Amino acid sequence: MSVVVTGRGVVSSIGDSPDAFFEALLAKRSGIADGIGACVDFDPESAMTPKLARRSDRYTQLAVAAADQAVAEAGVPDGIDPERLGVLVGTGVGGLVTLQAECEAWLEGGDRAVSPHFVPMMMPNAAAGTIAIRVGAHGPGFSVSSACATGGHAIGEAMRMINRGEADAVIAGGTEAALTGLCIAAFRRMGALSREGVSRPFDAGRDGFVMGEGAAVLVLEDEEHARARGAEIFAKVVGYGASNDAFHITQPDENGRGAKQAMLATLKDAGAATGDVGYINAHGTSTPFNDKIETLAIKQVFNGSATPPPVSSTKSHIGHLLGAAGAVEALVLVEAVRRGVLPPTINYEQPDPDCDLDYVPEGPREAPGLELALSNSFGFGGQNACLAVAKA
Amino acid sequence: MANVPSDQEALDAIREELANIKVPGAEQATADQTWADLDVDSLDLVEVVKALEDRYDVQIADGRLKSIATVGDAAGLVQELTREKEGATA
Repeated sequence: MSVVVTGRGVVSSIGDSPDAFFEALLAKRSGIADGIGACVDFDPESAMTPKLARRSDRYTQLAVAAADQAVAEAGVPDGIDPERLGVLVGTGVGGLVTLQAECEAWLEGGDRAVSPHFVPMMMPNAAAGTIAIRVGAHGPGFSVSSACATGGHAIGEAMRMINRGEADAVIAGGTEAALTGLCIAAFRRMGALSREGVSRPFDAGRDGFVMGEGAAVLVLEDEEHARARGAEIFAKVVGYGASNDAFHITQPDENGRGAKQAMLATLKDAGAATGDVGYINAHGTSTPFNDKIETLAIKQVFNGSATPPPVSSTKSHIGHLLGAAGAVEALVLVEAVRRGVLPPTINYEQPDPDCDLDYVPEGPREAPGLELALSNSFGFGGQNACLAVAKA
Repeated sequence: MANVPSDQEALDAIREELANIKVPGAEQATADQTWADLDVDSLDLVEVVKALEDRYDVQIADGRLKSIATVGDAAGLVQELTREKEGATA
């Protein structure tokens, strides 16, 4: 069963529509200011009523805004059995803005000061639930969570849901709004954040990631179903592979074992050979470890091939969106294969001998023959997801 | 009895608290409207009740919530509790 993309939506620090977002990547724009990639122009009340906005954590507000775009573009739920429409939207950390505010309220005012909306705002499945309510989607619905691989797992598992015949279409994606003082401090204490506040994946001077926020949601649909109702098809999701490093709770396996395994599983799932891959959207976080080991894993997958495909990192523009990253990057694949152009890695200045692939540093690159692209997502916990997207 | 709100004052207080939680049409809410009419669910009601408790320094027992189905019921309960409190301190 072939799965296609019939709807796209995104809220990011560089654009609040698929076109605006992707064109900003091509224009080498950065959404990072003062060391974070915040969606400063996002108005929750543009996406929902003031009452619902007040009852929703920011991570849900972002997801709803992205889902509204995707659902409108796909023209669902019209023309689809609501019991065959699923929602699978994940988050890495859930409603941290709410968690922090409610902890402060509780410490100051005791039990009575805790909002009755706290649990439904904080819980990691709130975005998926809120979207299902808005759309009237009665099919399978839940959230997945695998830290920074969440978005990749969400899109992949949604594809599987359609493969298994459990849904005709699934509203799938990832969302994150974790730019709270507590969370930024926590990542900083781990040594994961860039001291310089610049995301420069694969560059010799990279010193950590920059936190960002945002959401991306796609409508995935059984191809036959989409064609029968005359829906526009933007790309095909043809492969998904997941793996576990089973090595360390935050560090990647030194030999890139899990990353390699996820990419190979994805190629097998897609029925593709390494030579079919024309582009890889890297996890590319800008941490010293990730970028070195991801490079190693890609080289192992491409088995010493003289010309592994070009690789670029969206995180160079918008920072690391944690649980939303894989979904945003799946959208990048859709746009790359659809338009035949590769987005660049920005802030890449100094080559690192350990990172010796083609990272598309010069600017957008025309790729008219691009048929198949991969997206890597690797999460704390050692959990990895890889997606393969093909031209429709 | 200066601290017991009049019908209008109690209604206005509830309208204000509904507006604070962004209920559409809060300013025009009428005594005969049910919470369902206003799309106010049980979670919203917890917030409204807490706000009224704080405003009038009264306690609304959980068991009383079932008896307040309308805006007017809530206004009546606020009046009743403030009256009881005045009586106790008189």
